[in-house]
Amino acid sequence: MRDFLALLRGRMFLALCRLRGLNVNIGRGLKIYKKVSISGAGRVEIGENCIMAGIRGDSSQYVCLETLNPSAVIHIGDNASLYAARIAAKFRIMVGNDVLIEEAGIMDTDYHSIEKDRKTPAGENENKCRVTVGNRVCMGARSSILKGTTIGDDAIIAPGSIVTMSVKSGSTVAGNPARILTT
Amino acid sequence: MTVKNIKSLAKKAIERPGDALSLAIGLFRGLGYMVYYHVFKYNVRIMFPFIVHAKVRIIGPGTVTLGKGCRVMKNAFKGLTIHTFSSDATVTIGAKCLLGGTTIRCHGSVAIGDGTMTAISLIQDSFLVTRARSGEEANDRLPRPQRIDIGRNVWLGEACFVMNGSTIGDDCVLSSGAWCHDATYSDYVLIMGNPARSAIPIDKLLRLKGEL
Repeated sequence: MRDFLALLRGRMFLALCRLRGLNVNIGRGLKIYKKVSISGAGRVEIGENCIMAGIRGDSSQYVCLETLNPSAVIHIGDNASLYAARIAAKFRIMVGNDVLIEEAGIMDTDYHSIEKDRKTPAGENENKCRVTVGNRVCMGARSSILKGTTIGDDAIIAPGSIVTMSVKSGSTVAGNPARILTT
Repeated sequence: MTVKNIKSLAKKAIERPGDALSLAIGLFRGLGYMVYYHVFKYNVRIMFPFIVHAKVRIIGPGTVTLGKGCRVMKNAFKGLTIHTFSSDATVTIGAKCLLGGTTIRCHGSVAIGDGTMTAISLIQDSFLVTRARSGEEANDRLPRPQRIDIGRNVWLGEACFVMNGSTIGDDCVLSSGAWCHDATYSDYVLIMGNPARSAIPIDKLLRLKGEL
């Protein structure tokens, strides 16, 4: 019953997106269990059979996809499960198939520069800052991926880790900044 | 309770009526939660003096036991969240604990001793809660859910993580942002770092401070 309702909500969400004229392309079989917010003028592409849900017991956490630029792209592959994931893209974020994200964040910009005026950072471009997440990657709770990182296939990111460097495929990383636990 | 005790309590209440009122409201709220869980959920057991100043959410089929005199403080308005994922899961919390803002996610068993203080922290006995629940064999490299043991009079700092397989002794202090996983710590040490490095005995630390 819950799954059926989630499917229905997914269909309704698709229709709403079309009505609002958002630049969104979502595959079939989307299941939505909780509030989902998609905002911004950029393009959002979501594959087939995805699950979007929140973390139970914390009502303030929900899936949030935001594009900060008209040319920004968020791409999420097939069979992805997003549990209260927060993704903010200024350039390009590519997420692979069969990915699991729990209460974690991905962003490809710093929002502000470290200079005193706190304006938009100057040296950012797409080649430098884009984030690529491989297939079958798992991300634990309260972890985040920062700009310019590439995460290989089958990697596991432990809860509470801050990923600042690229992660090899098949490894487990933990800590702040994230270091390799096992390969 | 003797007459003298009651007299001193009454004196305190007259001196600071605001505190007494908030305590009374907390007791009343706690009583409400106790009655609710007693009537609707057979698997949750809460002992009588349960003082609540923020929200309490206990979800899931597992067994949850809260000891006497536990108190849920208003810690960034987050309250206490206990989420069990299987009917075998057991969460045991000792007497006179100060709980506020802490989140417990449990597949196996979590035990917390008497008099433990917590800030906004996460106690989770598996890396990924949703994947371990469904029992998928797709990612076999994921660590299994392991038992968590936290001793008596432990202080969990702000934003600290206690992951699977960690055993923490009595009177320990976890600094803010500490992250411990699959390790055993002896009594009365300071644990810090993400991931946590070797713990420092607090006796030694105090001695060093005295010398400086």
